[in-house]
Amino acid sequence: MAALVTNHWQLIPMRWIWIDKFTEFTPKTSATAVKNVSLAEEHLHDLFPAFPIVPHSLIVEGMAQTAGILVGEARNFAEKVILAKIGKATFHRLVRPGDTITFSAKIDQLSEQGASITGTVTVTDNGAVAPVADIELMFSHIDQNMAGLRFPAHNFVFTEQFTDLLKTYRLSSAVPL
Amino acid sequence: MKFNLIDQIEQLTDQRIVAVKTVTLAEEYLADHFPTFPVLPGVMMLEAITQAAGWLMHHRTQFGKSMAVLKEAKNVKYGHFVAPGNELRVEVDYIKDTDGGASFKAVGFVEGQTALQARIELSYFNLADKQPALAHLDAKLAEHTKYRWAVLQQGSVTI
Amino acid sequence: MAMTRDEVYKKVQGVLVDALGVDEEEVTPTATLREDLGAESIDFLDIVFRLEKAFGIKIPRGEMFPEDLFTNAQYVQNGRITPEGLVEMKKRMPHVDFSELEKDPDINKMQFTVDTVVNYIESKVNA
Repeated sequence: MAALVTNHWQLIPMRWIWIDKFTEFTPKTSATAVKNVSLAEEHLHDLFPAFPIVPHSLIVEGMAQTAGILVGEARNFAEKVILAKIGKATFHRLVRPGDTITFSAKIDQLSEQGASITGTVTVTDNGAVAPVADIELMFSHIDQNMAGLRFPAHNFVFTEQFTDLLKTYRLSSAVPL
Repeated sequence: MKFNLIDQIEQLTDQRIVAVKTVTLAEEYLADHFPTFPVLPGVMMLEAITQAAGWLMHHRTQFGKSMAVLKEAKNVKYGHFVAPGNELRVEVDYIKDTDGGASFKAVGFVEGQTALQARIELSYFNLADKQPALAHLDAKLAEHTKYRWAVLQQGSVTI
Repeated sequence: MAMTRDEVYKKVQGVLVDALGVDEEEVTPTATLREDLGAESIDFLDIVFRLEKAFGIKIPRGEMFPEDLFTNAQYVQNGRITPEGLVEMKKRMPHVDFSELEKDPDINKMQFTVDTVVNYIESKVNA
């Protein structure tokens, strides 16, 4: 089964990744990631083709991935970090093609059972930072926490795609200009 | 991926919509969420609820506005995973109108278990209300919405 | 810092309103977290996190809500709390009212109420 998973990554590009790179990563504390928005993204054209916007659920996912990697790294990716609750997600502005979305997440509480994070989402508008959303999330470490649910023993949550994002950030921040 | 998260509408009144999202391995992103354990992402369950509430708004107002987007989601809690071959049935109840939209209470079920619960507020508006320069887009958006609505109508035919 | 029960109650009420999305009026002393206020398992963790922050205390895992006791075959058999179970639970949960369970040790009657939380927090902050 493990061999299958490895081959899979070599053949098929990641389709469920909603951040492009980290711009800040302070272990066990905070992380910032960005995502570019492009008309080349097919799903942007389904709901409002005359006025494409990034669906707000995918903005929540971008935050969940930024914060999920932060929470996962805090325990060396040993836990299966699963989004368990959205305390609150409030949206202030629509995000359009050409925008770069910035996701900033902070760990509020972290325990053996899970974590709570707060995050802000922004874009820039004519050089000024414009608020897009405020998001509060909770993750569960499901091996510690969700009796009654069935799932595989190995960690299916943190694949190479996610750990690579962190590697790329660390490598590029080490290269002198 | 096509971003249509409602496949079928089972019940629709002025107060309530019951709709279904079926989950199939043919949805490519499932290969990544998660490898060896494909399940509908939690945010896609939220999107299904948002789109169901959107249809309820369109029904209540006879496609009164062109844009229906999530303004706020609160106390969204995930219970059971939804795997390929299963369906997520969402029940969305209209609560009241808000400044710029409406609020709803929703529950999603999979095989009789609660997959998620949520409270959401939609922003429901015409682009013309926000920026007069965009007014010409509202008619096109409304036409597309009505086309998507027509696609959702029930039933089949024998051949 | 010592707090009166009323002060603790008001703060606990605020935490439960935020964590569970219920109205203040619904958070009464005898309201049960699961049945009356709709708390799910992730909400119990949310409540613990928020209480720690609101009261500046640490709540060790299993101290306020000792779930391990409920799945222990020695303490709960066929949905009934055994006599040893009752002894252990009273020891681990001084903040829970056992008067009903003493009459009928049906595990489904084990309910955490708002009062349960207030009792626990009171003992922590006034220790």
